[in-house]
Amino acid sequence: MTINFLNWADAETATAPGIHQMIAEFEKEHPNITVKSVPVSYSDAEHQALLQFRSGNAPDVAEMQGNYTFDLASAGALASLDSYASSSYKSNIISSELKLGQINGHLEAIPWTVAPFGLWYNKTDMSKAGLNPNNPPKTLDELLTDAAAIKAHEPNVIPIGTDTTNRTYGLDQNWPFMKTDGAQPFSGKSASADTPGMVKYLTFMQQIGKNNYTTVNQLGGKFRDPSAHNDVAFDVDGPYLEGVVLSQTKETVSQFAQNWGLTTIPVGSSGQAYSTPTDHQLVMFSNSKHKQAAWTFMEWLSTSDYAVANYTVPVEQSIPPLSKLGTQAQSLMNSNPFYSVYIKDIVPTVVLPPWGPAYTAAYTPIMTTIQQVMTTGTSPSSAAKSLQSQLQSALAGAG
Amino acid sequence: MTLASPPMSATAGEPSSPAVPKRPRKRRGRIFDWMALPALVVLAAVIGYPIVKAIQLSFTNTNLLSSTGAHSVGFSNYDTLFNNDPVFWQALEHTMVYTFVSVAVAGLIGLLLALATENLGGAWRFVRTLMLAPWGVPVIVVAFLFYYMFQDRGGIVNETLVNLGLVHTPVHWLTSGNWALVAVIVANVWSITPFFLLMFTAALASVPNEVIEAARVDRAGTLGMLTRIKLPYLRTAALLGTLLMVIQNFNNFPLIYSMTKGGPVYSTTTLVIYVYQLAFSQFHLGFASAVGVIWLIILLVFAGMFIRLMRTGNA
Amino acid sequence: MTVAVSEVKPRERVEPAPQARRHRFRPGRIVVWLFILVGLSVALAPVYWMVATSFKTPFAASSPTPSYWPHQFSLSNYNELLVKGSVPFKTYLVNSVFTSVLAALAAVIISALAGYSFSRSTWKLRGITSVVVLATQMLPLVVFVGPLYLMLLDAHLLNSYLGLIIGYTSFAIPFGAWLMKGFFDAVPVELEEAARVDGYGRFSTLVRVVLPTVIPGLLTTGVFVFINSWNNLLYPLTLITSNSKQTLPPGLLDSFVGQFNTDWGGMMAAAVITTVPLAIAFFAVQRSMVRGMTAGALAGT
Repeated sequence: MTINFLNWADAETATAPGIHQMIAEFEKEHPNITVKSVPVSYSDAEHQALLQFRSGNAPDVAEMQGNYTFDLASAGALASLDSYASSSYKSNIISSELKLGQINGHLEAIPWTVAPFGLWYNKTDMSKAGLNPNNPPKTLDELLTDAAAIKAHEPNVIPIGTDTTNRTYGLDQNWPFMKTDGAQPFSGKSASADTPGMVKYLTFMQQIGKNNYTTVNQLGGKFRDPSAHNDVAFDVDGPYLEGVVLSQTKETVSQFAQNWGLTTIPVGSSGQAYSTPTDHQLVMFSNSKHKQAAWTFMEWLSTSDYAVANYTVPVEQSIPPLSKLGTQAQSLMNSNPFYSVYIKDIVPTVVLPPWGPAYTAAYTPIMTTIQQVMTTGTSPSSAAKSLQSQLQSALAGAG
Repeated sequence: MTLASPPMSATAGEPSSPAVPKRPRKRRGRIFDWMALPALVVLAAVIGYPIVKAIQLSFTNTNLLSSTGAHSVGFSNYDTLFNNDPVFWQALEHTMVYTFVSVAVAGLIGLLLALATENLGGAWRFVRTLMLAPWGVPVIVVAFLFYYMFQDRGGIVNETLVNLGLVHTPVHWLTSGNWALVAVIVANVWSITPFFLLMFTAALASVPNEVIEAARVDRAGTLGMLTRIKLPYLRTAALLGTLLMVIQNFNNFPLIYSMTKGGPVYSTTTLVIYVYQLAFSQFHLGFASAVGVIWLIILLVFAGMFIRLMRTGNA
Repeated sequence: MTVAVSEVKPRERVEPAPQARRHRFRPGRIVVWLFILVGLSVALAPVYWMVATSFKTPFAASSPTPSYWPHQFSLSNYNELLVKGSVPFKTYLVNSVFTSVLAALAAVIISALAGYSFSRSTWKLRGITSVVVLATQMLPLVVFVGPLYLMLLDAHLLNSYLGLIIGYTSFAIPFGAWLMKGFFDAVPVELEEAARVDGYGRFSTLVRVVLPTVIPGLLTTGVFVFINSWNNLLYPLTLITSNSKQTLPPGLLDSFVGQFNTDWGGMMAAAVITTVPLAIAFFAVQRSMVRGMTAGALAGT
């Protein structure tokens, strides 16, 4: 039998050969199952999967992420995995990762690559600016001070790489910054943007924008190329940064580790650090005709020692969602100094944004407000007020 | 003011067509001619039906994310649109600015280039052909190219401006609310100017020699020759070219979508982009259709004006 | 203001006597030449930049301080696209060629029939129909794409070449019909009458006698439709849902502005290859295109 696998891994040059290798190996181990890859771009993945589901030609399995998964679940596109995920499977997965896929009481997605946002800091740039390269900014204020130092000493370096594009990924990346200032622009279907925390957060973003500490409306991925040229000092990113830089500079991991450090996202007025996941998940579609085969593939791809050791870690540069690693994977992870930073420091700070149709309705007003305070002199408090009313009408129309 | 106006024709250099051809009388009386039917059937199915469907959708809350199905909401989409949606008005304004500024600037440059290259002879005509190069570049490539050239970092435009000392820090072409619309207009002007150049060149070639010679005998200066003799002949070409390009640019999707996706904030969001975002990023097909229907009405009014203008111009 | 229509008929194109228009040397000429030079550089510089970048190494292409020419001439971007194929570029290219050519063929046939009918027949609703058809040209694609999506969904034509070709064709027909009408109008009716006398029917008169005289028109219409289809981003973006059937515009957008990074060198190499077929098509018909466009729109009313 043939199962269709919609994914963006196969649509990107960095990951396509890896995913081909995975599919070939899986087919070798499971001769009765053929996997047909359906590559789509990351930015089109949700809309393509949704349109395919609506048109009755949904794939069996898909790679999804964050809000995408929740939207598809609310459209009724996903199969519940409760009956497939055995207790031994569940016990093998980091429990917080398993929770990511629990939607309305059902397991609708399983974790594949674990990749929360952290703050990457470039030690070369910090030294050149007279900063201590082993003392990355711990608070938002320190981040601004350090960015000013970078700007002053190295005018060609982008002090802060952060995604401010109008898309769910943009809101995902800004969510920890809002949370740490005590802001949560909406919950459920009610808007709560006109708060002191939100004003504080918008003021912070205005500082970044006004002083040209970042490139506004830039895709997060666009900071990775300049990072390879040492042209970004602090980059808010998942583990993919490492992969892109390595593929460009051809450095070894330890050379990379001498140049880059990783820590939690700086804290704001709440004193609490936050992160959001950019984990790639695997989902199964409700009208799949080969659910058992689909599950076999999903489980194999996300948990088998072969896939973890040959794809998740080396190709995606991600952390496997497993509580106990196989020997091959374990030795790979041990050689990567950032693994323990993720597990010990960053993963515990992860919060889930309120993904789903409300999030889809809310991200445009929020992101455009952020872009507005960053590029104009609009006062944060009036921006927060206007955001409040925009959110009210957007959330009222949410599906 | 009396103006000697040439006959309306932009069919420059075209071999003369006989005055209105006599039509065979046999077929009079039928409602449709079968030869036009395939076209009409396709248009009815692929354009007529979707219009009806779009109007119908605009009265519902259809949302592709909803699993419960859509129901009728009366005029509430239109109510939101007119009373509670500042983005719609911004998008309308950006559509107008984008279209009319692009067409005016490209038309003017095209005219000047056509006049400048008018008397090029022999091998020098190749210069004009080279100037037409942007016309052969697909829109998506124009978008990629200018997107790349306008990058804050590594963009050749900023690099050159800084090297020449014209600016000290890179201009945020695509990432600032003030410049993004300028940047997409520049790309668009680059792309459509050759159309005007070609159009005006053809029209200039149609100015009869006798007229030029007569003016020369009257010792008309270069400027007089230009304003009194040549420009009137270019009127129809200008009108027609402008209208064709206005229509095309009203609905231009690929250039803006590929360069800025309508951002930052809403600074390059035109109506076309807005409708697309509503329908396929927000999945709010009902509301998107309402915006589309209003845009359709505006365009129909414009189309009516166009046809009237052409009729009077041709009479 | 009174407008007096002059008697002069600007139909006959007479080559100017070479000396007649030559001016004496004037400083004005220098300004004109400077203007031409600036115009030429602005027109060509982006094209140069595209080609130059496509021959740089990927690392040099993403450099924050780009060099004006490729110091290290490299074919790796082209190799990556055409030989290694990590981006399904060849698939996009084939799909684009296939759908654009078929749409052009279909639209030429349908438009020629309709254009001939608009030019020659005298059926009752001809006037109003022709205006409606012209007006469709101005309608925004984006308004239809949602309903069209739902419609093709019901017809099981979503994510199919046929659905895409229908979409391209329908939007090309109005203008195609007008283009063809302009060309048919220029064909003397006497030609057809002679054929009728010889016993040809209406359709065979069209095919055997009239069409051969309007081959430039057919070509122009075909190229026009080809170009519009080649440039269409919206339809494939929404109506095609798998990479194996995707065309160049959305395919390139997906491939080169990805989640992980932007491959400028590859993007420019793809841009060069995407440009070649269109540029050839354009320059093949540039003159008759403008003539046809204006004639069609004018004669149409």
